[in-house]
Amino acid sequence: MSLSTAAYDIALSLPAGVTGLAPANDNPVADFSDTPWWVALIKAVGVFVYLLLSTLLVIWFERRVIGRMQQRPGPNRNGPFGLLQTLADGMKSMLKEDITPANADRIVYTTAPLIAATMAFVSFAIIPLGGTVSIFGHETPLQITDVPVAVLLVLAVASVGVYGIVLAGWSSGSTYPLLGGLRSTAQVISYEIAMGLSLVAIFLYSGSMSTSQIVAAQSSLWYILPAFFSFAVYVITMVGETNRLPFDLAEGEGELTGGFHTEYSAMRFAMFYLGEYVNMFTVSALATTMFLGGWQAPPFIAAIGDGALNGGWWGLLWFTIKLWMFMFFFVWLRGSLPRVRYDQFMRFGWRFLIPITLAWVVAVAFIRGAQLGFLGQGTFTIGGRELSVATVVIVSIVAVIALAAAWIWDDKRAEREAAAEFNPPEEIDPFEGGFPVPPLPGQRLREPSGLAVGSGAASREPVTSSVTSTLTSSPVKEETHG
Amino acid sequence: MTAVAPAAFQQSNVDYVAILPMLIVASAALVGVLVEAFAPRRRRHVIQVSLAVVGLLAAFAAVVWVAVDPNKVGHKGLTMGFTDGTTNHSVFALAIDGPALFMQGSIVLMGVLGILTMAERFGGVGPDAFTPSGASTPGSASESAAARAGALTSEVFPLTMFAIFGMMIFPTTNDLIGMFVALEVLSLPLYILSGLARRRRLLSQEASLKYFLLGAFSSAFFLFGTALLYGYAGSVYFGDLSKAVATGPLAMNGLLLPGAFLVFVGLLFKVGAVPFHAWTPDVYQGAPTPVTGFMAACTKAAAFGAILRLAYVGLDTARWEWTNAVVIVAILTMVVGSVLSVTQTDMKRLLAYSSIAHAGFILVGVLAFDRKGVGAVLFYLVAYGFSTIAAFGIVSLVRQNGGEATHLSQWAGLGKRYPLTAGAFAFLMLAFAGIPLTSGFVSKFGVFSAAIGTGGATGTTLAVIGVVCSAITVFVYARVIVLMFFSDAPDDAVEVVTPSMATTFSIAIGTLITLALGVLPSSLLDLADRASQFVR
Amino acid sequence: MTTRDLVFVVVGTITAVSALLAVTTRHVVHAALWLLVSLGSLAGCYLVLGQELVGLVQLLVYVGAIVVLVLFALMLTRAPIGPQSEISTPAWQRALAVVLGGATSALLAALLLPLLASAQVDLDRPETGTTQIAQAVFGTWVWPFELLSVLLLVALIGAFAVSRLVLHREGEAA
Repeated sequence: MSLSTAAYDIALSLPAGVTGLAPANDNPVADFSDTPWWVALIKAVGVFVYLLLSTLLVIWFERRVIGRMQQRPGPNRNGPFGLLQTLADGMKSMLKEDITPANADRIVYTTAPLIAATMAFVSFAIIPLGGTVSIFGHETPLQITDVPVAVLLVLAVASVGVYGIVLAGWSSGSTYPLLGGLRSTAQVISYEIAMGLSLVAIFLYSGSMSTSQIVAAQSSLWYILPAFFSFAVYVITMVGETNRLPFDLAEGEGELTGGFHTEYSAMRFAMFYLGEYVNMFTVSALATTMFLGGWQAPPFIAAIGDGALNGGWWGLLWFTIKLWMFMFFFVWLRGSLPRVRYDQFMRFGWRFLIPITLAWVVAVAFIRGAQLGFLGQGTFTIGGRELSVATVVIVSIVAVIALAAAWIWDDKRAEREAAAEFNPPEEIDPFEGGFPVPPLPGQRLREPSGLAVGSGAASREPVTSSVTSTLTSSPVKEETHG
Repeated sequence: MTAVAPAAFQQSNVDYVAILPMLIVASAALVGVLVEAFAPRRRRHVIQVSLAVVGLLAAFAAVVWVAVDPNKVGHKGLTMGFTDGTTNHSVFALAIDGPALFMQGSIVLMGVLGILTMAERFGGVGPDAFTPSGASTPGSASESAAARAGALTSEVFPLTMFAIFGMMIFPTTNDLIGMFVALEVLSLPLYILSGLARRRRLLSQEASLKYFLLGAFSSAFFLFGTALLYGYAGSVYFGDLSKAVATGPLAMNGLLLPGAFLVFVGLLFKVGAVPFHAWTPDVYQGAPTPVTGFMAACTKAAAFGAILRLAYVGLDTARWEWTNAVVIVAILTMVVGSVLSVTQTDMKRLLAYSSIAHAGFILVGVLAFDRKGVGAVLFYLVAYGFSTIAAFGIVSLVRQNGGEATHLSQWAGLGKRYPLTAGAFAFLMLAFAGIPLTSGFVSKFGVFSAAIGTGGATGTTLAVIGVVCSAITVFVYARVIVLMFFSDAPDDAVEVVTPSMATTFSIAIGTLITLALGVLPSSLLDLADRASQFVR
Repeated sequence: MTTRDLVFVVVGTITAVSALLAVTTRHVVHAALWLLVSLGSLAGCYLVLGQELVGLVQLLVYVGAIVVLVLFALMLTRAPIGPQSEISTPAWQRALAVVLGGATSALLAALLLPLLASAQVDLDRPETGTTQIAQAVFGTWVWPFELLSVLLLVALIGAFAVSRLVLHREGEAA
């Protein structure tokens, strides 16, 4: 179980038995004192352009990568490598006819895509894209703004973004969008709970909800290691949150046509499309910030030249690389996994993810409490390193509980599987229920007694189709006449 | 924003023995929730009822333990808070004192009787008064499917326990925020319980919705008043409030009157004082009868406990600001309650208006502004509570074609056919009227004499109006008695069904306590008098 | 008048007006949406007053969860959503409500406005940070805070007791 080792690492990386480990306050470390309003505006426009370009690029990227996975070229006509394909698509959707259904609630119908698209951009305001840089002579962090509760902003904005979906579904005045909107909203708000809970562990580790503070706190160890479980939960929920395959239940084509945006066309549809992709960038950027050290260079690169490549504009490079790793992951998922069933998806969210993430948060709280010396100051030394007794004890307890739970769960599952294993009877009557049923592999057909159907009665071959039709039709006839 | 080092965290000091009664009730309720999840359906009813009763009795024992304090530890006083080290300012959430303990003890005991009447099954699988499927349309297929499947609503017992938990906290809290949360904890289960009647479902659902909407409205009043009082005093603790009024921060003086008024509106709503009484008749009529009895007894006790604390601890120094308004409310409550009860033709509505009138009489005691007044109010609440639970218990037994027969004309001639039941009910009516040798007389005498003794000219006026209104209500109750004993039964006569031991027990106890407190009131009067000292 | 005052007035007006629209509109989904606007701009009020935590939690809880659930309930019921003439309030009642509500507001405004017109509050005082709110919630206000969890549990059980439908199949209804 790597839980114990990960937490162990954190315990080792900190001097044991010191109470003042947590940052004394939760305020951001990013310093905006030398940022006039026009620099902030430039940064905001920069982030907007960055996101738009990334979206243009990622749609092409997705189609090419999926094409490669499915052994076909993907779009390759417009521009070099087909890079301008997205631009052409965007132009086309702008020129298309914009249809509003007769039953639609017009104002809400127009507002919904606007909400979906704009809310996706807002969260990026608090994501640190790089270290402190100099823009026109002003020393400013590469981040639009930061507040002590910045991560809550992402969650709050995500929860407002839901309205884009629910209102689009309702205001279309049509059944499929309504159902799709309901599904999608249920999905997003359910997975938001688990997502918020998974982030709580990071707040406990860093002692702050400010993104710049969280990035700064990861300078020695990225939180993907001590909070590996949170990372796993976050990655699952971020796919659920963005309505992407395998969790794109809202637009299950077989059941709901297009889901909440069935009735939308032209630019308003493009807004939803844009919102979806920017949302992917937002959740990936948050994952980068929370778990992968944000804009900080990977450890071995950070060591080069005494941190010369770790900070300033270099941060933007590392951040973008990490971001695109997540984007590739999204595409990979889409290329390899089928859609899950809706009830399974909801059960997984409510009955597995939320309770187990709650338990994990409690465990992290205890681990942090032990590290900060709330549970006793005793220490002992192994191999030259001083360890806090409480930390070791708590980590071992958590590990044992986790192991035991995994063991019991595995046992139960094995039992269930054994119980669910279906042994088909050796012989079946092919038209017992009144209609013909083919035999399962290894099954024998019961011979139809009482009805003489020629000389094949004693044969053990599967009954041929002509025989089946005569067998099924004759009793029905008798019944109708008798 | 400048960075400041946060002040050291201060933990709340808790005297766990002092809050043990509340903890017991809360944990019994939580265990009840688990029982609901895990116990097999056949045994759930019995487990729930015994768990609730045992929990309440244990809580009563704990109340006695805290009050008597055999080890002389000194559990009484403020708890659940701390004194700020730097400013030497005390913030304590709970006041464990005489009135609080008295109220807790009586609420718990009345709660036992309430639970026992709710548990009546009349041979069925689940509690008879409650529908197995609250959401289904009355008379729909899914309702009868629920009945056929033998579904039962044993959640009502944990819900009732949560309500009792809130009622115990309500008169014990020492600040407005805690009081508000307690108000919600006690109200929410009642909103739900009153919508779960098995018969006459539409009435019940209407009652639930009305109660919920008006209750939410009054909660909003309370909260707004709290905000204004906080603006006035800079604190929501009753001690600080009282001190602020005494020293007088003149800058915000204008906030005191509206704040006090709005907070009182929120509390007076719960006791059903006029003009905040509009919900009372409908809810009393629509709610399942055992719930009505429980509500009439325990909610009234808890809310008057809270009113007493607010009037005597929080806003005592600002008395001149709000007394006149409450005097008018008291007069209106007595007059409207007693006059309108004359015109009622439904037994439950009659009892509802009677309870409004009683709320007015109790307010007269509150306005005495004296320890004697407090003692009289405490006594009144206990006496009225036990009588009213027994009265509603009897109402739930008088039936026709399986449903309760609550129309007055259906009760005609009941005394000739069921003399014991009708006799007990007549006795309770006499107690409501305040006839000597019943607890009603002693309690009315107590509040009116306290009002005359220390209330000055206002008190005397109030007492006179109270006596006149009592005389009006005597007419109402006498009419019921005459109807039961001196008229002929209609052709389709009602019957009195034979209840289980539990209901019989609670009706008998309620009636006997009404008698005992009428004949030998001195011990309880003495206890109430000794318990009438508030701690600040 | 500082910029902050101006922003507060604007946000506050939006809050009040949308709250009014929420209770006066006859279209039940529009009522929910106006409520959404009102609660959202209330979060804006908190933000203007420098309380980021409170503002964002307001957004998360009220906008992100409660109104979504309201909309959900509206969409899942078969009840007609548009204006209904047979259940709408009669004109005289509406007039009465306007008079009463207006009178109460006027009374309170007449009382509070002159009183608070000159009041000054320092919005950047450091004692209202996240740490201080946490200390207040888990130190001073721990009792009401814990009580609230009981309240939520009660709401949960109550919702279950009210809304449970019994399934027709034997042995599955519990």
